[in-house]
Amino acid sequence: MAGSALRRLMAEYKQLTLNPPEGIIAGPINEENFFEWEALITGPEGTCFEGGIFTAKLIFPPDYPLSPPKMQFTCEMFHPNIYADGRVCISILHAPGDDPMGYESSAERWSPVQSVEKILLSVVSMLAEPNDESGANVDAAKMWREDRSEFERIAQKLVRKTLGIP
Amino acid sequence: MREAGIMLISTALTCVVIGNAYYQRKQFYPTVVHITKSNPSMTVIYAQGFILAFMINAFLRKIFFGTLRAAELEHLVEKVWYAVTETCLAFTVFRDDFSPKFIALFTLLLFLKSFHWLAEDRVDYMERSPVITWLFHLRVATLLGLLFGINLTMIHYAYNTTATKGPSVQLVFGFEYAILLTVVFNITVKYVLHTIDLQSENPWDNKPVFLLYTELIIGLLKVILYVAFVTLMIKLFTLPLFALRPMYYTMRDFKKAFHDIVMSRRAIRNMNTLYPDATTEELAAADNVCIICREEMVAASKKLPCNHIFHTACLRSWFQRQQTCPTCRLNILRPTPNNAPPRQQNPPQPGPQAPPQPPQAPGGNPPIVPLPPIPVPPPNLTELSEEELRAMEGTLRQAVQARIQTLQRIQLLLDAANAMMNQYQTVAVTANIPVQNSSTSNIDNTLDTSTMAEPTASSTAHASAGITDENSQVKVENIPTPSTSKENTFPSTSKEDGSTFNEFIDLSDLSRTETESSNEQEMLRRRRLQKFSPPPATE
Repeated sequence: MAGSALRRLMAEYKQLTLNPPEGIIAGPINEENFFEWEALITGPEGTCFEGGIFTAKLIFPPDYPLSPPKMQFTCEMFHPNIYADGRVCISILHAPGDDPMGYESSAERWSPVQSVEKILLSVVSMLAEPNDESGANVDAAKMWREDRSEFERIAQKLVRKTLGIP
Repeated sequence: MREAGIMLISTALTCVVIGNAYYQRKQFYPTVVHITKSNPSMTVIYAQGFILAFMINAFLRKIFFGTLRAAELEHLVEKVWYAVTETCLAFTVFRDDFSPKFIALFTLLLFLKSFHWLAEDRVDYMERSPVITWLFHLRVATLLGLLFGINLTMIHYAYNTTATKGPSVQLVFGFEYAILLTVVFNITVKYVLHTIDLQSENPWDNKPVFLLYTELIIGLLKVILYVAFVTLMIKLFTLPLFALRPMYYTMRDFKKAFHDIVMSRRAIRNMNTLYPDATTEELAAADNVCIICREEMVAASKKLPCNHIFHTACLRSWFQRQQTCPTCRLNILRPTPNNAPPRQQNPPQPGPQAPPQPPQAPGGNPPIVPLPPIPVPPPNLTELSEEELRAMEGTLRQAVQARIQTLQRIQLLLDAANAMMNQYQTVAVTANIPVQNSSTSNIDNTLDTSTMAEPTASSTAHASAGITDENSQVKVENIPTPSTSKENTFPSTSKEDGSTFNEFIDLSDLSRTETESSNEQEMLRRRRLQKFSPPPATE
């Protein structure tokens, strides 16, 4: 019998392929390695990210699902909760215990109940509603608070970029 | 490509050096003498030797590991850098023994180490790889056998040299190979365990436990070896700086393994004594899938006090990290000595928190309308006249406030009842009294009603129900403590019976703030809860 992490990832992959949530595609980059996934996320409708198709990479730890995976956007992003290098900062991806931003309650933290699907759905809702309390990208957070129209302009530019339109 | 270029250049250089020497001396022996006497020639020959060694190493690696994965390569490069640095440090201690043979031995050691690291990575990867081919088994088995043999030979050689010629740099080699031997042993055990697991159709629940114990034993062996080595080195030569980093890591790993074992043992003990096995009916009633591994639960499942069911093995591995229910995060650990201190520290919190409340209430509260104490709903609505009904159901602010107030009272009572139920449950668990199903389902009911009573505060109601997070674990701990805080507040509330009126005014104030900020509301609500913790007393 293969390891429990592998079996769980296979089960999740199957589930995501059979019942894909709207606007989300995810799966292993290479079926020989189930611990590195890539995901395509469409920007939520009615937000400044609408229409964009954003690519991201998920790296799972050997003891998944006891520890959370890491998620990183591989396309250019400008968002209060995404670091400049694309790493996503949401509480669901943080293991209980450490609290890098000092404001998360552990109810929102990682637990084995969470899944790839839930992570990606959280990311979609994060795109729709940035949390400007966590300053993964302070410039973006500041702009989101103070100059919303400029933020939306940049977001729209990124959306066009992901679609290959200059 | 670059490697090929270097290889070509070096081969060409060697040919030139040898050809030149032979051209000058014409005979074999004088040629050799000529080359060894000339420094530039020797440099070229040494470089050629290094490159050959690297080639052989790469070739062997290809045979035993095929193409390396990105992660493996990364680990390898990182570890090689540390090893090279430490080797350079070791050179400083044995600078008198410095010779080409010495360097050759260190290079060999480095290459062997790299094979050990790679083998370890590969065997760890077994668990995560979807397909394990027979080639994999052949490679790993041969490699482990070979490494075992080489290590033994080298230890034997080092021992003999030290025994005959006295302590020298061979001491370091002997020790290094002894450490590598433990590594081989560790990899072999892991490999065997993984192979057995792969052969069986069902998950092998006890494998993690075996792995943990192996880790512990190997860790202990390594720590003993390092301590012995460092003491020997200090006695014979000087402080072996190059061994300090690996020694530190070994000790840290050993400590971690020990901690893991303790946690695992505790988790197993709790699992066996505290939680009942889930019955078939319960499994059928739930949707029968373990939320941790997403697989069906057929046997060996446990039910937590919060009614959530998981595989025993899944739950055990989770409890090694955290003592909460994965679904609702209820802290399921009974108050063990480990858990007791935070509980005892918490009660003082309600103490200082509660007193500021009474002065605040009359002060910051200009009573708009002096409300009568809780309008008790009439027993029978049909008996009321139209006027009376209209008076009760007025659209005035008072009427709205009165309604909100009543709802709050209800919620409060439910919360308090819930908290007490939790408390009783904890007590029951501590005293090892089997928890009745009816009581737990009761809690669920009250919880539901309490959330229904005030939908806007549903999240807060959840929070107070003890199903929460760490941050609010403080809150949660506050609530289950009524047993302690009750003793404090009980007499005071009964004494202040006359002041209940004030508290009601305070409530009307609260209902206004509630609409203003939900955060504040939650805080205040908690204070209220503390104040009203013994609901029967105020009733």
